Amino acid sequence: MSWIDLLDLLQSVFDGVMFGTTYALIGIGFTLIFGVMHKINLSYAAASIGAAYLSLLVVQIVPTPLVYLCAALLGGVLGALVYLVCFRFLPLNQPLATLMSTVGMLLLLEEAIVHATAGMPQNYPAVFAGVVFDIGPFMVRGDLLFVFALGCLAMVGLKLMLEKTRLGLATRAVAQQSVAAQLCGMSVSNTNATTFVIAGFLGGTAGAMTGAAIGVLSPLLTLPMTVKGLVVTVIGGLGSIPGAIIAGLVVGGVENLFQFLRGVSERDIYVMLMLFAFLVFRPGGLFAAPGGRD
Amino acid sequence: MLELRHVSRHFGGVKAVDGLDMQVHQGEILGLIGPNGSGKSTTVNLISGLYAPTSGSVVFQGEDISHLPTHLRAQRGIARTFQNIRLFSQLSVWQNLWAARVERGTGWSGWKSRWLASADQGRELAEQILEFSGLQGKRDVLAGNLAFGEQRRLELARAAISGAPLLLLDEPAAGMNATEIDELDQRIRALRDQGRTVVLIEHHMELVMGVCDRVVVLNFGRKIAEGAPQQVQDDPQVRAAYLGADDNDELMNAALAA
Amino acid sequence: MDFYIGLLQVIGVHSLLGLSAWCVLHTGQVSLAQGGFFAIGAYGAGMLTTMLGWPLGWALLMAAVLAGGIAVAVGFPALRVKGLMLVVATTAFAEIVRLVFFNLSWKVQTPEGLIGPDGGLGFGGIRYFQANAWSNLHVLWLIWGLVAVVMALLWSLDRTRIGTLWRAVGEDEVAAQSAGINLTAAKVSAFGIGGAIAGLAGGLFSHNTTHIEHGNFTILLATFAIAYPILGGLKSLAGTLVAVVFIQGVLIEGLRFLGDWRSLLFGALILLVMLVRPTGVLGAPLRLPFVGRRDEPTSSAIPVERTHHA
Repeated sequence: MSWIDLLDLLQSVFDGVMFGTTYALIGIGFTLIFGVMHKINLSYAAASIGAAYLSLLVVQIVPTPLVYLCAALLGGVLGALVYLVCFRFLPLNQPLATLMSTVGMLLLLEEAIVHATAGMPQNYPAVFAGVVFDIGPFMVRGDLLFVFALGCLAMVGLKLMLEKTRLGLATRAVAQQSVAAQLCGMSVSNTNATTFVIAGFLGGTAGAMTGAAIGVLSPLLTLPMTVKGLVVTVIGGLGSIPGAIIAGLVVGGVENLFQFLRGVSERDIYVMLMLFAFLVFRPGGLFAAPGGRD
Repeated sequence: MLELRHVSRHFGGVKAVDGLDMQVHQGEILGLIGPNGSGKSTTVNLISGLYAPTSGSVVFQGEDISHLPTHLRAQRGIARTFQNIRLFSQLSVWQNLWAARVERGTGWSGWKSRWLASADQGRELAEQILEFSGLQGKRDVLAGNLAFGEQRRLELARAAISGAPLLLLDEPAAGMNATEIDELDQRIRALRDQGRTVVLIEHHMELVMGVCDRVVVLNFGRKIAEGAPQQVQDDPQVRAAYLGADDNDELMNAALAA
Repeated sequence: MDFYIGLLQVIGVHSLLGLSAWCVLHTGQVSLAQGGFFAIGAYGAGMLTTMLGWPLGWALLMAAVLAGGIAVAVGFPALRVKGLMLVVATTAFAEIVRLVFFNLSWKVQTPEGLIGPDGGLGFGGIRYFQANAWSNLHVLWLIWGLVAVVMALLWSLDRTRIGTLWRAVGEDEVAAQSAGINLTAAKVSAFGIGGAIAGLAGGLFSHNTTHIEHGNFTILLATFAIAYPILGGLKSLAGTLVAVVFIQGVLIEGLRFLGDWRSLLFGALILLVMLVRPTGVLGAPLRLPFVGRRDEPTSSAIPVERTHHA
């Protein structure tokens, strides 16, 4: 491979890693929910994209960064809704039932999006869209950089919340030992609901960021996002937030690497094979966190 | 029959079992006691195969089974019950028993009896042991619908039906009343009369002292005493482990007198 | 009339898909891979009849054997993990299969022209039924005949020791292995049999629709596959059939007059069924969703001393 090609490859990977923060956020969301409820919420990515769609309602009214904030907030609302409908009233010892209910929710959300937009992709505003920095032979896209920065901000915010606030303490307590947490006066269902809301914030941000990085929102995004999010969660280790972060960045970079080497249509095959290899050789993921989360 | 040679099991920094040497002789009823957290359940898991030892070896009937998977140990002849009842609650009583019956045939007929045997055969096989465990008439009841005492009996029957020469009973008396404990005592003796060996983990001292030939006491993952029940009961170290190593003789004597 | 025959054909194929998932779900494994085996059977049988001129019976048998064999091969590594990880592993496998077929381009010259899978354009011209003058009714009988055979097979398996062992493994793996049950053998056998059934279904599907492409075999199909036994109730084979008839027949085809709204309703309906009948329509007796204990303990992995509660 010539020097130019190598540079292009590195550029590709670099861009991928920055975009990987969206995967990291979705992965964190899946892992958070799994940590407290030991259940999978398959509708999570759909809700995140849905929140981004809803934030389009205010696009004409407020400046773009606030649109992202709006998406995050709406993500939280959707998160609470999903908890209420899919988890609150279902018996906890029927994991298949909750799995199916989230599948139902996923279908519902996706169809709702298709209905509302008549299936047409919608433009999503980006910040610093045309801006490009040059660092040596590499180009750094301004909009991707913003996405990356926003992602990091969200992760830092999450970490602070989990470690410094009472709410965060409750979330971690319920995740590790729900019976004892109840005995200490914590309401498990309230904590679960709040975890869904927090995961929703992250998801809404991720949805907004995906839209910003790609430039459009489309209902076709939901299924791939769900799959990638699950892949990230598993590679990072179920229940581990640092794992999800690193795995997200890795998957983002690797994805672009394979795309550069083998083209778009084959790229995902290799990402999936990588996942398989992980499951065979290191089923715990990068940071297996049995029971606990941090 | 069974030997634990300097077995250790560590979980990260915690030494659940630390250099344990233990022997179980053919045909005896061995009690395994110790305060909570002393490593009893871990020891049972090491024997039955749910854990592999961090160091040391587990030898059964002359064979080193330290790293043998659980189901193969069960097929070789080690059966167990669980502290928290783990029955197949959505299966009926006879299905629970049938599932645990270890078919030792080889070749095609052995394979056939393991996988393709019909339900009727299963029911017949189960009948044999239903009477032993006092569950006659409950053959078709779902295990989850049984009363607590009946569930305990089913657990014991499920362990016994495999024909295993070594039975590990993990706190079988927990939650039982006096009558049920007497029956349990009878059943354990009956098992020994069949030629089996029993390792009994228990907190219920009367049962242990009454039915066991020998007792091993654990504390902090180590063996601190071993011998005949009365001998162990009088051992000052054992008392210290259970009641606290205070030099407060008055308190100890008062508690023991109660 | 033709419309109803076509509908019944689709219901038949999906029933086989549901039955294949029933098998796997019985051992407690949630697998989203059935779509992948379906695809292998579809492309495999299609390629055998059109490109190699095989008769249908042999092609279908080969499709089932191939899918079943791959299921066993994939099952050994994949079934070492449980729960969510297995869901993801099987999803990954199904996606790999779909993408492989998306990229597969291989044609041979036949008297009817160039035939074979063509990457993203799919695989067309699977005209075995047409070429051999099968009527719609004949195809219908074939499909439902196979459904009956598979159901009889699974029903008898359920009554032998395999069925009991599968259920025991599905209930409590720790107790099962402590009772001498070989977990891997049980799980892989269920996975393999399920894969073979899905492969058979796929072979029927590709010949029924004459044109298949990668978009037919997405994760969505896999969720349908597990939805049927879950919604129908894992206890009974009939439940799966009922669920297929209901979902395919009533919802998707019967609500055509609702136009685009029916897909929305589908999602809402799944939610509703899960709320009211969490063990499935033909599962346990009816329970009200807002009444009664919710916090029932689930079994922990490995027994520990009482002081360390899970």
